[in-house]
Amino acid sequence: MKNIGIVLASALFLAAGSVAAQAPNDAQIAHIVVTANQVDIDAGKLAEKMGSTKAVRDFGKQMVTDHSGVNKQAVALVTKLKVTPEDNPTSQALKSGGEENVKNLKTLKGKAFDKAYIDHEVAYHQQVLDAVDKTLLPSAKNEELKALITKVRPAFVAHLEHAKMLQSKM
Amino acid sequence: MSTRAQRLALALFCAGALLPGSGVYAAGTAGKPAIHHVVIEGLKNEPETLTVKRGDTVIWTNKDPFPHTVTAPGKFDSHDIPAGGSWKYVARVAGDYPYICTLHSNMKGMLRVE
Repeated sequence: MKNIGIVLASALFLAAGSVAAQAPNDAQIAHIVVTANQVDIDAGKLAEKMGSTKAVRDFGKQMVTDHSGVNKQAVALVTKLKVTPEDNPTSQALKSGGEENVKNLKTLKGKAFDKAYIDHEVAYHQQVLDAVDKTLLPSAKNEELKALITKVRPAFVAHLEHAKMLQSKM
Repeated sequence: MSTRAQRLALALFCAGALLPGSGVYAAGTAGKPAIHHVVIEGLKNEPETLTVKRGDTVIWTNKDPFPHTVTAPGKFDSHDIPAGGSWKYVARVAGDYPYICTLHSNMKGMLRVE
């Protein structure tokens, strides 16, 4: 379980590091935003079904709702701006980290599932916030893209706090 | 014609001066309940603190792409206001009502009813 957390953190850290060396363009940033949301939607869908407590299932459901909402708006924006999201190493690291997480979660049940899911949510939201602050916002050129990321950032903070609160009760 | 217009303007001006609070948008002081708007965007209630008169209506509109709630525990609760949706509350009892969003703990607001 801990290994997964470390693997994810390392993947994001390496991705953020490689991106910092070569700042992503707006098309890549859009792809990172959509991928980061999708990864959390996938884990949330699993938690909605597999969570052993209502609090965990509700949290999973909220992740699906909130991140789907953000993605809907992100897709609407890139469509309006006529930007085609471009795959990149950070998106790939996020995607493979997300797949690894879901694969691991599917082997777990009950309290073990809850703990692994919530631990991952805490680490994931922290890493995504770091990426937003250190890479995405400083690199974004288009004002509307920047505004969208700025506008949804507090939601990621709220999710992190919510996940930490659940974690503290386990 | 111009004299009549001037007289009319003067009359309106005086009427305005006599009515306390007239000319102030949505002040609700002229005896008629006012409608106030709070916009929820970027996880902020704008304005964060709103003062209204008893009988006034407050409409919260959610401009974020996901749901929020306007919840003053034990007093009022919008439950989920969907993205793009709104919720209306008629403030009937005077008091201070600090409220939160039950979905996002970093959101807060204050409704003051005079």
